[in-house]
Amino acid sequence: MAETQTKQPILEMQHISKRFDATQALEDVSLTLYPGEVHALIGENGAGKSTLIKIMTGVHRPDTGTILLDGQPTHINNSQEAQTLGIAAIYQEPMIFPDLNVAENIFISHRSRGMVVNWGRLFKDAEAILAQLDVKLDVRMPARGLTLAAQQAVEIGKAISLKVRVLIMDEPTASLSAHEVDQLFRLVNTLRSQGVAILFIGHRMEEVFRIADRITVLRDGKYISSRPKAEVKRDQVIREMVGRDAGDFFAKSEVPRGDLLMSVRGLGKEGAFTDVSFDVYQGEVLGFAGLIGARRTDVGLALFGIEPADTGEITFEGKPVAIKAPDHALKLGIAYVTEDRRGLGLVMPMSITTNISLPTLRRYLSALGLVRRPEEQRTAESFREQLMIRTPSVALDVGKLSGGNQQKVMLSKWLNARPKLLILDEPTRGIDVRAKAEVHHIINDLAAEGLGIILISSDLPEVLAMSDRVLVMREGRQMGIFDRKDATQERVMTAAMGQQEHQEPTGAVQG
Amino acid sequence: MRPDWSIFRRWEGLLLILLILIVGYNALSTPGYLTVGNWVNLFQLSIEKIIVALIMTFIIINAEIDLSVASVMGFSACMMGFLFAGGMPMEWAIAGGLLAGFVAGLFNSFWIGIVGLPSLVVTLAGLIGYRGLAYVLLEDRSIGEFPAWFDRLGQQPLIGPFPLALIVFFVLLIFAIIVLQYSGFGRYVYVIGNSKDVARYSGVRVRRTKMILFVVSSTVAALAGILYAARLGAVRGDMALGFELDIITMVLLGGVSIFGGTGTMWGVLLSVLIILNLRNGMGLANFSGHVQTGVIGVLLILSVLVPNLAGTVQAALKRRRARTVEVVAAE
Repeated sequence: MAETQTKQPILEMQHISKRFDATQALEDVSLTLYPGEVHALIGENGAGKSTLIKIMTGVHRPDTGTILLDGQPTHINNSQEAQTLGIAAIYQEPMIFPDLNVAENIFISHRSRGMVVNWGRLFKDAEAILAQLDVKLDVRMPARGLTLAAQQAVEIGKAISLKVRVLIMDEPTASLSAHEVDQLFRLVNTLRSQGVAILFIGHRMEEVFRIADRITVLRDGKYISSRPKAEVKRDQVIREMVGRDAGDFFAKSEVPRGDLLMSVRGLGKEGAFTDVSFDVYQGEVLGFAGLIGARRTDVGLALFGIEPADTGEITFEGKPVAIKAPDHALKLGIAYVTEDRRGLGLVMPMSITTNISLPTLRRYLSALGLVRRPEEQRTAESFREQLMIRTPSVALDVGKLSGGNQQKVMLSKWLNARPKLLILDEPTRGIDVRAKAEVHHIINDLAAEGLGIILISSDLPEVLAMSDRVLVMREGRQMGIFDRKDATQERVMTAAMGQQEHQEPTGAVQG
Repeated sequence: MRPDWSIFRRWEGLLLILLILIVGYNALSTPGYLTVGNWVNLFQLSIEKIIVALIMTFIIINAEIDLSVASVMGFSACMMGFLFAGGMPMEWAIAGGLLAGFVAGLFNSFWIGIVGLPSLVVTLAGLIGYRGLAYVLLEDRSIGEFPAWFDRLGQQPLIGPFPLALIVFFVLLIFAIIVLQYSGFGRYVYVIGNSKDVARYSGVRVRRTKMILFVVSSTVAALAGILYAARLGAVRGDMALGFELDIITMVLLGGVSIFGGTGTMWGVLLSVLIILNLRNGMGLANFSGHVQTGVIGVLLILSVLVPNLAGTVQAALKRRRARTVEVVAAE
């Protein structure tokens, strides 16, 4: 701590708070960035990391709090201003124009180039920047076909061309191979030695501890801790990330486990996930935990036939099945409730009734194929009562309801299909506390009725409170299945962040 | 005290008002306008386009487009003429023409439904390709001299004052209204038009629905082409050239969104009536065909503009009222 405090900080975020509608995204968060320091920012999904970055880059404005640049209070009103101030960000997916060459990509943000491009100078300047980074790339080559690591080098070059002082790297390693990560970290070290302040966001503990000088933990939008790396241990950081009170969560009641419903062995899908195996029993909630990018949704989509798996076996109610299309899955009794209500879940400009009857419309058709509307409406009314959907009428467009009520319409739509296996993908994301509790009760009741439920959720306390067993995934791999009594936040998070229990640690050997 | 603007917000309401104005004006200025005979004539002049507009309504609500319909009309009629000239009995030649349309529809829906190409591209290729086939079949010949019963079907009343094409239209119209507005299939058409992803994630067979629509579209176009041939008494390679744009205009003017998901068969019916009566009235008042077309173009732009504008005006009025209330409360 002493060594850094002798330096003058570049950027100080002081007591920043930001609220979006019902969610307090950030509450009194402070962060200080020093030149020549790599500062890791970690936290679960939804901890507030992205919001903080967006405030630093001028996408959002804080509700309260001050931003000091070189000790001076500053307002960052848009990303242009952030750029002028020397704050740049690079993301997991580099923002590269594939048809422009490397040099053009590096200087893409420079507007004052006049009518005619001085190619000679452009190439020379680009080469100078890449040389500064110790990167060997042909600046005349189109960016198309560059490896991801090379694209990121170009992104960093772009930042340098803008005289970057604060570089934000948002999960830059997420899609890189181990070798490419090494290359990237070499670049980071170069930048550090040149006095750039780097904010590094990452999910892999091993990498965080390898590159960072200082580690700050956020949880639920709140500042938890900030310490030099030398003073913290991994399990301590993990505990701080997850140490949330699960007390206010409704816990699933114990239901005697029924018969085996579905059995999945060695399920895989090229480019998404490999070797996923599990069983689901009637009356059981099987939680799927993991961080963003763990590919849990892809498993759900495979089981529902949207993106069928290409390897592995599925046995449903004792019979081997190949699920090739959603109507297939529906016939078997498998329903999938998407996380993307707006894009994939509901037809917003159509009525509640229409949405609820959609997957089961055939049930409401007369012999001539006409829709029996009174019957359809009765169904909608009964779900409105049962799930307490707050609306003046079931003829109202779904788009006019609140998020929580939309979520209930989506649940109604699938419950009406009377599934045997219900796959719920982030069923409580973006809805208010009351609706959340109601959804938890519904899940509990459904399990009690003997449904098998797969609950995909990034909300760790939720998934632990609601599940009988928890399957943990990380980057398309199954890291383990924990029984309810063994599934602590620490153990699940450790697995989700890449350390398999009772197995040799992957990559660098470390205690 | 609040005026009800809802009728203006619905394009169908505006169309109805416009239709009453036009018909009223025409009826007052032209004696005998409101006779059955006159209206049969009105319809008969564009009946083939109107028939195809019915199925085009389904396709556009489904957020697709079929640009190949006019070429399929020409191709099917030419196929019929070609087979007849080659010595086939007229009944078989007609069946051959319909079959040609059906096969064209299968071809379109293969590329759209199975390969997954955009319908705009596939049917643009169809527009060129089927027209080309029509010319290949007949070159620059014109084939006529069909049996007298065939010409009579196209030109003479069949039941009461109504010729066959008009009867076909009425039957198809009733069928189309029932299917689109009341059947399960119609429901799928709207849902897919609004969001084909939501439809797919709900277990709806999206591709199948689209393929059915494109096969039916070409088959109906073939039927319309043959009815057209009967009315003209002859077929040529350039038959029905450019009809697709008139047909699409009828559908869009009826309040069907080019982005899919909204619009009704009732709106399209109103729009057809308006176009027919407007052209007729302007013709009687000695406006040239080009002016008539221009006026319809303006109407088309209004069809997109007015419902939005009415919404904006309504919202502005509401805001002003709210402000007035606040001021009163403050005082």
